[in-house]
Amino acid sequence: MTAADPRGGAPAAPGSLADRQARLVAALVAGAAPPPGFAPAPLAAARAALLRKRAGEVARHWPLLAAGLGARWSATFAEWAADRPTGGGLRDGWDLARTLRTRGTLPPLGARELAVREALFRYDGQRPPRRRRLPAVTTLAIQLAARLRLVKGRAPF
Amino acid sequence: MTGPDGVGIGWRPEIAGFVAELPGLRFVEVIAEAVPVAGPPPDGLTELRERGVAVVPHGVRLSLGGAEPVEPARVAHLAAVADLVAAPLVSEHIAFVRAGGLEAGHLLPLPRTREAVDVVCANVARAQAELPVPLALEPIAALFDWPDDELDEAAFLTEILDRTGALLLLDIANVYANARNRGTDPVALLDGLPLERIAYLHIAGGAEQGGFYHDTHTDPVPAAVLDLLAELCSRHRPPAVLLERDGHYPPAADLRAELDAVAHAAGFPVVT
Repeated sequence: MTAADPRGGAPAAPGSLADRQARLVAALVAGAAPPPGFAPAPLAAARAALLRKRAGEVARHWPLLAAGLGARWSATFAEWAADRPTGGGLRDGWDLARTLRTRGTLPPLGARELAVREALFRYDGQRPPRRRRLPAVTTLAIQLAARLRLVKGRAPF
Repeated sequence: MTGPDGVGIGWRPEIAGFVAELPGLRFVEVIAEAVPVAGPPPDGLTELRERGVAVVPHGVRLSLGGAEPVEPARVAHLAAVADLVAAPLVSEHIAFVRAGGLEAGHLLPLPRTREAVDVVCANVARAQAELPVPLALEPIAALFDWPDDELDEAAFLTEILDRTGALLLLDIANVYANARNRGTDPVALLDGLPLERIAYLHIAGGAEQGGFYHDTHTDPVPAAVLDLLAELCSRHRPPAVLLERDGHYPPAADLRAELDAVAHAAGFPVVT
């Protein structure tokens, strides 16, 4: 069996460097079994380090989501992301926020951040978000309303 | 255009104000993928260029060690950034960052095999054909090794440098991290590398976590890494050394003290 290529390209020949690199990345970011021969502890440390770095990137795109989760941010993100390859910090945070909303565990700050994003952008969960075609006055109103709600909610800034 | 010279620092938007006020600064690095090439460079970089500070674009997503050919659009972007900032050279890593359509999100090590040497050399040649300036290659910090290494690290790196004619960007903190995590002697690696090929050095902070030393770029530079810098410079002092800091930025006074400590260890004038 060779590592699947999500782009739909031809799978790399078994045992080739391309195949082995694909298996290694899948083990590190997509929850696949580690390729044979690698020492488990260093690989686990690398997987954890990648998740920490990714959590930091998502928090930069979604500061209120991360702040709303507070001390639970790192564990919540790691649990959600462990077997999900990254779509970039913006989309990862968006997908996580929607998952938490479905579970009913999205904190209020994160809910406000998500609401503003969803009002301004169209995101189908598959392709990069695209800005909605709204009259400039509507865009401004959404941003102003969000700011007012944040002030009332004592956002941490 | 002069090349890297003395003590530099990685230019990041978060510390642009701090960097702008370093009176003796002669060079900075900028993450190439963070620079849009459609418009002018970020204001802070333009001001540094006007002061005669060299700007070196540092690529992090070319994936020169990927088994697939390097993507031409990524090379074209790096070349365009080099033109935009009139760079004396550019740098990238001996690593891969994606495979099988998945992004790893960080630099991953290659097996030290002859097959991997061939892959890297072919991709470096593809990049060099399109770049307007010389390319320096940086060995990475790796938390794990592949099970089938044929070459030791010095032989692996030297072979790549010899075959590509590329310059060496040696990260002294990576040398420290790898040696500490593998239980090997960092000085032995320095003895095996072509130190005269170093265009400049990197240095950065890190921290111990879970039994491994992590090259975080968000912690202070440990004294042991400064000692290794001094050890290297006592053998052969490269033209320049650059401090990389990528988050958890300390107060300006602390960052200045760290730059001074780097200058002192390497034997360069202070830039603060």
